[in-house]
Amino acid sequence: MLVQALIKPNTYFDSVSLMSLSTKANQIEEVEQAIIAMGTEMNKEVMKNVGLLTPEVEVAGASDLIIVVKAATDELCETAFKKINELFTKKNSGKKGTNDIKYSTISSAAGSNPEANLAIIAVNGAYAAREAKKALENDLHVMMFSDNVSIEDEIELKRFAHEKGLFMMGPDCGTAIIGNTALCFANAVRKGNIGIVGASGTGSQEVSVRIHEFGFGISQLIGTGGRDLKEEVGGIMMLDGIQALEDDEETKVIVVISKPPAPSVEEKVLAKIKTCKKPVVVWFVGGNEEKIIAAGAHFAKMSKEAALKAVLLAGADESKLNKRALNIPLIEEVRTKLTSEQKYVRGLFSGGTLADEAMHAAMEKFDNVYSNIQRNPEYRLKDRYTSQEHTFIDFGDDEYTQGKPHPMIDPSTRLARFVQEAKDPSVGAIVMDFVIGYGAHEDPVGAFLPAIIEAKQQAEQEGRHLEIIGYVLGTELDPQNYQEQIDKLLAAGVTHASSMQNAGLLAREFVVKGE
Amino acid sequence: MINAISGDTDFIKEFNNSKFTGFVHSTFNRTLNIKCFENGDLYTIACSNLDNGPNTLIIDVDNMKSINIVVDDRVHVENNLLYIGDRLTISIEKVNIWESILPSYTPNVEILKQNVMKVKEYINIHGVGGGIKKNFIPQNPFEAEVSNLLEKRTLLLFNELINDRISSAFSHAVSLVGLGPGLTPSGDDFLTGLFTIFNMKNSPFYPYRSFCEDVLKKARTLTNDISYMTLKKAANGKVRDSIISLLNSILVEDDQDLILSLNKLLNIGSSSGTDIAYGIVFGMEATIRAGGKVC
Repeated sequence: MLVQALIKPNTYFDSVSLMSLSTKANQIEEVEQAIIAMGTEMNKEVMKNVGLLTPEVEVAGASDLIIVVKAATDELCETAFKKINELFTKKNSGKKGTNDIKYSTISSAAGSNPEANLAIIAVNGAYAAREAKKALENDLHVMMFSDNVSIEDEIELKRFAHEKGLFMMGPDCGTAIIGNTALCFANAVRKGNIGIVGASGTGSQEVSVRIHEFGFGISQLIGTGGRDLKEEVGGIMMLDGIQALEDDEETKVIVVISKPPAPSVEEKVLAKIKTCKKPVVVWFVGGNEEKIIAAGAHFAKMSKEAALKAVLLAGADESKLNKRALNIPLIEEVRTKLTSEQKYVRGLFSGGTLADEAMHAAMEKFDNVYSNIQRNPEYRLKDRYTSQEHTFIDFGDDEYTQGKPHPMIDPSTRLARFVQEAKDPSVGAIVMDFVIGYGAHEDPVGAFLPAIIEAKQQAEQEGRHLEIIGYVLGTELDPQNYQEQIDKLLAAGVTHASSMQNAGLLAREFVVKGE
Repeated sequence: MINAISGDTDFIKEFNNSKFTGFVHSTFNRTLNIKCFENGDLYTIACSNLDNGPNTLIIDVDNMKSINIVVDDRVHVENNLLYIGDRLTISIEKVNIWESILPSYTPNVEILKQNVMKVKEYINIHGVGGGIKKNFIPQNPFEAEVSNLLEKRTLLLFNELINDRISSAFSHAVSLVGLGPGLTPSGDDFLTGLFTIFNMKNSPFYPYRSFCEDVLKKARTLTNDISYMTLKKAANGKVRDSIISLLNSILVEDDQDLILSLNKLLNIGSSSGTDIAYGIVFGMEATIRAGGKVC
């Protein structure tokens, strides 16, 4: 590898431009590494430390801009410099894409983009309601990513939106796909004729990904925010979402996803579904089959089942679908490897609904299933740092994210817990999700690999088999490399589950004794 | 002719003495800097969407680029009008005078402790990584090394400050100057925040504020002109309005106001706002830990 430098004397770029140029320079194909920085003594010291100091850099001054390129050959360095210079020229020409324009208020953004019809609000919760109100007043649909918004504000905003015929998705709405554009945390899925209304972010992601895998696609995915089906809010957006999908010509089948609604809200939603002219699949995690069937809807107990029913209703030929049945011989094989002491599952999840689905799968077979999101207080974890028997943790829950980014972005908290659980001799299987897609970590499996390898080696040295089940929520169209994530899991000796439903079922089956 | 909306008192003084001459030192989308021949200092002309700052005049335009001012254009003041080549004339007839005045350090340490903790938690989540705040996955080895050095050196500085070893703190502070790739390197931004705390009246560090001047003397050759000017002003307790707003919010109990002013600061530059905010938190934590011992 060669290191070459270019010095631009007395050249200043503001910090934002410099950061952007630096990022783009590192994306140039020929470049192994590029650095664009002011030539201060301290920066030169750093370049020396990382082996990138050249004679030209050594003599640069504090007011000079230095560009250092590491590439395989002289020619590639030259090409890289040429491309970097083009980036500078573009920057100086003042031509900007619309993505680069920053607005300080919603009104100015709306005024300058009359064709815009949706605003994403991702400010501190204390100000989110105010900004959402402004957006709605400007006739914009709202997707509110922010949480910590009062339920009173949520009700007021949703009523206001409803009156104006607008969507108010959220608060705490992390997933939507509108007009084939993924918003916030969502996956790149095919466009199609199945619409989703979901009060659950990762639940909606999971169903959209499974539909994609079955060869079908999504017309719209409307997120409502997790509190929409609470008594106080009354499912305002869920009802509007179902109506919108019923009115949408491109949507042939509707999937409704939520944790169990408040009884009065469930009644309203099912009444709405009963009058809907399009087929509706309902997946309420832990929901009541009878009520759903009575409403004329199609009941799904789990996520893959919901996706499967949706694609069949949309016209799929069942005989041609790979439904990816559970690998029964593998279950037998793993059971023989686990000792009688290894009887518990530990589920460590970044997605709340994914945790919930796996937990419900375990609850079908075991009574002693604990979690931080258990609805039964008796089985709520007493200490969030200590697992009890079968334990399923949603690391995205507020108690784990205080002062930290969401685990789909920063895996550190979950990683530390994984190391802890892997040492527990009573653990038979650890099940984890690895969510990719827009907004998610660029290499979630990679972040866990060293710990997984070490944990498995450690267990082996102690004479026990540690079964790890990994599920990658994503598609081959996502910005990360989906197949590479799976390959990494497999190479580390992890059992790869093809869906969240299978991951949950495999985990529970692995630790069953005496069947 | 364009009207100035508001201006720093030092800049207005230069206007009024009519001996201000210089040239355009650098131009950006929302600011341009003038180097004054008389005193060698930099003065900033900024767009209306920026906050007040030392040596800064805010004018009634949205974007500086449209005026087509170029580096080396000559600047002079005549009859209370500032001329930049033949491209721009600025009047201060309707200007509101602004002065950088830091609040006094609070006697209510409990509120201070709580607010500093809230600010720290907030920037840990919402701050921009790559400088004082480490990115979980650094973009390249250079960034990783810069972050490591920033972490080590700020920690060393902290230990010296809380143990009342101001003279040995000096070398660690100097080792931060110019550290970071940006126009205002992260180390400089951090020191800007820290210097501010030294200059708050009644702060435990206030009697030692010559520390800032001492660091500044070393900084002249260690960083670029623009960043040096910011440090020079901060060493004398002159900082931009968004920093003062945050300090005011940290001293009282009003969460909404605290987050609002913090967000404004975090929006400065790419990681600059975050680095300044960390400098403030660091300085405040050091004063709390040092307490009466330093005084």
